Amino acid sequence: MNNVTLKSPRVQLGILFNCIPGVALMLFVCMISFAILSPDFLSLGNLKNVGVQSTILLMISLPMTLVIMTEGIDMSIGALLTFCGVVVAYVLANTHSLPLAIFVALMTGLIIGAMNGAIIVYFSMPPFVVTLGMLGICQSLALVLTDGQSITDVGETIGLSYNGIFLGIPIPIYIGILCYFVTYTLLYHTRFGTYVNAIGGNREALKLAGVKTNFYHVAVYAFSGLMAGLASILLTARMSAGHPTAAIGMEFDAIAAVIVGGTSFEKGNGWLFGTFLGVITVGVLRNGLNLVGVPSSVQVASIGLLVLVALLLDSFKSKT
Amino acid sequence: MLLGENGAGKSTLMKVLCGAYQADAGEIHYKGQLVKISNPNDARKLGIAVIFQEFSLVPYLNIAQNIFLGREFPGKIPGTIDHQRMHKEAKHWLHLLSLNYDTHTLVHTLGVAQQQMVEIAKALSQNAQILVMDEPTAALSDRETILLFEMIRKLQSEGVAIVYISHRMAEVFSMGDRITVLRDGKQVGSADPKSATPDELVHMMVGRRVDMAYARTEKSKLGEVALKISNVFSDNGIKDISLEVKAGEIVGLAGLVGAGRTEVARAIFGADKVTSGTVEICGKLRHGEPYHSVDMGLALIPESRKTQGLALIRSVEENIVLASLNKIFPSSWIQAKKVQDIGKTMIAKLRIATPSGKRSALVLSGGNQQKIVIGKWLTTESKVFIFDEPTRGIDIGAKAEIFALIYKLVEDGAAVLMISSELSEIVNVCDRAYVMREGRIAGALEKEQLTEENILKLGMTNE
Repeated sequence: MNNVTLKSPRVQLGILFNCIPGVALMLFVCMISFAILSPDFLSLGNLKNVGVQSTILLMISLPMTLVIMTEGIDMSIGALLTFCGVVVAYVLANTHSLPLAIFVALMTGLIIGAMNGAIIVYFSMPPFVVTLGMLGICQSLALVLTDGQSITDVGETIGLSYNGIFLGIPIPIYIGILCYFVTYTLLYHTRFGTYVNAIGGNREALKLAGVKTNFYHVAVYAFSGLMAGLASILLTARMSAGHPTAAIGMEFDAIAAVIVGGTSFEKGNGWLFGTFLGVITVGVLRNGLNLVGVPSSVQVASIGLLVLVALLLDSFKSKT
Repeated sequence: MLLGENGAGKSTLMKVLCGAYQADAGEIHYKGQLVKISNPNDARKLGIAVIFQEFSLVPYLNIAQNIFLGREFPGKIPGTIDHQRMHKEAKHWLHLLSLNYDTHTLVHTLGVAQQQMVEIAKALSQNAQILVMDEPTAALSDRETILLFEMIRKLQSEGVAIVYISHRMAEVFSMGDRITVLRDGKQVGSADPKSATPDELVHMMVGRRVDMAYARTEKSKLGEVALKISNVFSDNGIKDISLEVKAGEIVGLAGLVGAGRTEVARAIFGADKVTSGTVEICGKLRHGEPYHSVDMGLALIPESRKTQGLALIRSVEENIVLASLNKIFPSSWIQAKKVQDIGKTMIAKLRIATPSGKRSALVLSGGNQQKIVIGKWLTTESKVFIFDEPTRGIDIGAKAEIFALIYKLVEDGAAVLMISSELSEIVNVCDRAYVMREGRIAGALEKEQLTEENILKLGMTNE
């Protein structure tokens, strides 16, 4: 007993603070605050709402994590999501075939994502610039395809994917969780995931290990596009329309969620569950601010603030 | 054994062997058969494994994932990885090296020596028939070096051919069966370690006879105490450091890797925060940020010239003026002509081998890069120089030149604190030395007591 020194409560609190990831801490603080500010916040109905509202963001934040792990970024994902959503509506309005619409949306996402990747990898271009260019292209394509108007003639069936309920839980929540587990398996249990990590961590080593680095690097962006295509179905279902500016700027939320989740822009240091928590935090923040009656123009600032606080928290923690 | 100056083409040759570069001409014969190596997979299929000097590890993957990078064991479901088997096999290879690492550890949390050992395990695990090692011991402590040598001898007896690149003469003679020397991308000779002498090899390497005895013969006139550190503690783990260096004196700072030598240098310079104690430069108290230290005449030639010493892609002359822009251009306007002149003078003075001052520092050899860093501090007209491993990865020819520069510095009244892992350097170059152990000064040795045995005795932990 002699050499056991009891740590002061303050030290213990410090250790606890260090063990808990910053994102969990922030999510906790957000939830407590909104629970106090608004009695409706913790109701089951509203929590389901948060889940449903977060699904689309989750679906594009997951691949964004992988892209950022390769020391890249995908600025085009919001615009691509918008464009794919418009494509879904366009195909539905013209053919009334949901499977065809889904197929075309997935292909559109996949192809544009792969184009991003191919330009970045084979022409050695900076990801930021390439995907920023693609952002402009997709945004413009969405406007061209719809003539600037919403396409509303999308039928009833697609709405089920967003509004449907199975065993008391909304369908989008199933889709979100499924996407999470698929990405999780990809990242932690397949070669693809290992190589994504290695592309960011030490590309040269991967090359010398005899791996076709370029293929996997392009594949990351293709995966990003594919997920945008998938998410676009929910997007169109949510609004029962294809709107040419529906998800413009959503890359901001996605990148914010990834950063808040503790993924860094260097050396393949990523954390997928952190992204999940980050998405929920952004979702809770948006939902809570809505309930409290904060206008959406101010909400963007609050997400910016969230990112800054997350980064400060982490840098503070790595110092102690 | 493969020997040669920096830039002689050893690493390039190695990269051709492992398929990273392709041969323009010539043939590679493997077990009597002509083979073609056009990519890393070809090399791997032939059983050629390479341990690189610059680590080929992925920081945020664990040890097992790193060892089997590109060769993951497939799991039951196509595309997945059998993690269990990977960890089991990784453990097996680490055990062969008498290492007990947890294979789930992320590589970036390991120390340099540990990373080197993982790198070695990675190469071994490829069941290589030919193992190429590029200065594998550069980052290892003595104990680990002994382990590695045991492993090499064992592999040798199992019929594995080993190509070993080294700058350390002792290794070359104790481990080598045959020595090949490269110079300027060509093979200039080979020797039998039983009959050859170090002088002969050096002669082959540099093409001119260099005096191996770079040892200092004359002592400079001692002046005032130029650097005085009293009871310094720092966040980075050093405890109660007190030492002093007089003008005209070369003082060694010895100790095992990890004993805290670099940390002392960083604390003196102000790069790491000093929590208590004082640092005096030329009688004045140092405080604040590194730029104050520079103003006060302190120069730090850091351990890693590529990442800490140079703006690597900038030109030679830009690097030379980098630390003294304030002094040369007080008005903040930079005149290209002046930069060029100063660069030219320094290039001539230090005999930096570069076609022009406009050349990027990146393309020069290690020895020349080190000279640029020294030139940078000469330009600031510093009075106190701290050299952290000034000759790491530098061939013997350049080494002698670097030491000649250091001697010139003290001759002109500068004070030098030199950190080195090579005991012979400390013994032959320094006037006296401090030996560190676990973050503390374990003892000081005057010139008469300054022998390799004494340094080792002080530096080893008493277990």
